[in-house]
Amino acid sequence: MKRVAGLLREIFATPLQILCAVLLALFAVLVLVPGLIAPQSPYAIDVARALQPPSARHWFGTDDVGRDLFSRVIHGTRITLGLVAGALLASAVVGGLLGLLAGYFGRAADLVFGRLVDMILTFPPVIAGVVITGVLGPGARNLILALAVVYIPMFFRIARSGALAERQRTYVEAARALGFGETSIMLRQVLPNVLPLILLQYVILFPLALQIEAALGFLGLGVAPPSPDWGAILEQGKNFILTAWWMSLWPGLFLLASAFAVMVLGRTLQQRFDRR
Amino acid sequence: MFRFLLTRLAAAAVAALLSSLAVFLLMRAVPGDIVSQMLGQSGNDRTAEEALRGFFGLDRPIWAQFGDWLGATLSGDLGRSWYQGRAVTMLVWDAFLVTAEIAVATLVIATLVGVPLGVLAGIREGTRTDAAIQAFNLLGLSAPVFWIGLMLLVGASAWLEWSPPFAYMPPGLDLAENLNIMILPVLSLSLLQAAAYSHFVRDTMVAELRKEYVRAAIAKGLTPRQIYFKHALRNILIPLVTFVGLILIQILGGAVVIESLFSLPGLGRLILSGIQGRDYPVVQGALLFVVLVALSVNLVIDLLYGLIDPRLRP
Repeated sequence: MKRVAGLLREIFATPLQILCAVLLALFAVLVLVPGLIAPQSPYAIDVARALQPPSARHWFGTDDVGRDLFSRVIHGTRITLGLVAGALLASAVVGGLLGLLAGYFGRAADLVFGRLVDMILTFPPVIAGVVITGVLGPGARNLILALAVVYIPMFFRIARSGALAERQRTYVEAARALGFGETSIMLRQVLPNVLPLILLQYVILFPLALQIEAALGFLGLGVAPPSPDWGAILEQGKNFILTAWWMSLWPGLFLLASAFAVMVLGRTLQQRFDRR
Repeated sequence: MFRFLLTRLAAAAVAALLSSLAVFLLMRAVPGDIVSQMLGQSGNDRTAEEALRGFFGLDRPIWAQFGDWLGATLSGDLGRSWYQGRAVTMLVWDAFLVTAEIAVATLVIATLVGVPLGVLAGIREGTRTDAAIQAFNLLGLSAPVFWIGLMLLVGASAWLEWSPPFAYMPPGLDLAENLNIMILPVLSLSLLQAAAYSHFVRDTMVAELRKEYVRAAIAKGLTPRQIYFKHALRNILIPLVTFVGLILIQILGGAVVIESLFSLPGLGRLILSGIQGRDYPVVQGALLFVVLVALSVNLVIDLLYGLIDPRLRP
């Protein structure tokens, strides 16, 4: 308990870090219980109240079919952040395991996986995302697949270099001398030591993946329109940009705030990591 | 040196080949090609369907199709667009000129703004100036590029009562009109990239100024100006050059989204419309081009290392 408190105090020391903590807590609430905060259903259409500017009744205004934007943006938090979190998790598992195999066993695994990763890396991330979602079609499943593929190389490289370094350590030799199998050493001894690197990478990549998720949504390649995904709301608002700016302002601000908070967290963790 | 160049070129060629093959297979792995798009969903006319597939060469085995494409590509022929009939090389080149204008303008502005900001923040580490610049960096990095573009559109129309022209104009025909169209997309991309630049330069500068030789220089009585600009800045030049490459590739990606927002006929739009119309030759050709640009940027950067620091010459 004391250690946790100490860690928290260290992570949330400067005003910037406190702001980041407040934002993270806020987003956590929005993800867990959006229904408690949003006054309306994100899908409730009311054409009579279409395209209304922000007011006491509709804090963020309404969209072109009269849906309450505040409710939509609030409900969109779980969808947008959840998609990114899930895609990156898949990426971390696949990229991390492949990297571990490549780094620990080397040879064929390293060569084959290395070339595959190089191939993904030849595309700028956004373009890879556009190609995958564009060809496979829009929808949550393809979006997750695209984001996961784009970030596999980053996790692969981190896990590979981590495993390469750990492989030389005495504890691996000791485990081998004790008669443990190679797979068991890799998963039970090396993996726990590489895991912090992967977790740090996860936090660092999160804001970047969020940007791409939003960009794909904005291009109409993300989640289908009635869903209150932030990128989807922005795509819908694009057509009304000069008449109904509020449709574009709020989802963008939420994207900015969530990316900002995670970025500050990542920076803090990185600094802590570098000091060790 | 020659050997180094040769191995790098070989690795780049393998990467380009593999990525082309991946795109090729991905596009043919999903249902729906240009023929089904042309004939619509009805799809009762079997003979027309087969004739069209034969016309586009889609009835041949996949490996034969890839072989044909590869052979033609190696001899410099990317084929013709299935929709417009124009040569893909021409389409790609025209689109590239648009994207290149955005990329170069963005790179120049981002460097001119980002590097001085980063150096300043690094020199003044821990002060309010540093905090303010860092806040700018983090905000710039967190904001979605296209959203900045949208907000600039709103701002320009609300406060300046100005909005950019809708139709694209090449700089050769009417430069003033071209700049009117390009200013908002370039500004939105520049903001992000300036923040990225400044963020990176600041951190590198801070790390550099903590090194032993800086302490020695202070003890020797060098002026801060000499220490910052003659010593520290010169030493961070190498990471800086690497970063330029990263940024260029990022701009290429960011341009896709911003081109779509401002209806610019650049590479991003070419790729997007090609994918949507299942215009395989256009998608293959444009993506191959993007990949080659990215690979050459990386190669040039590796060669630049050697120029800046002779110790790193391969």
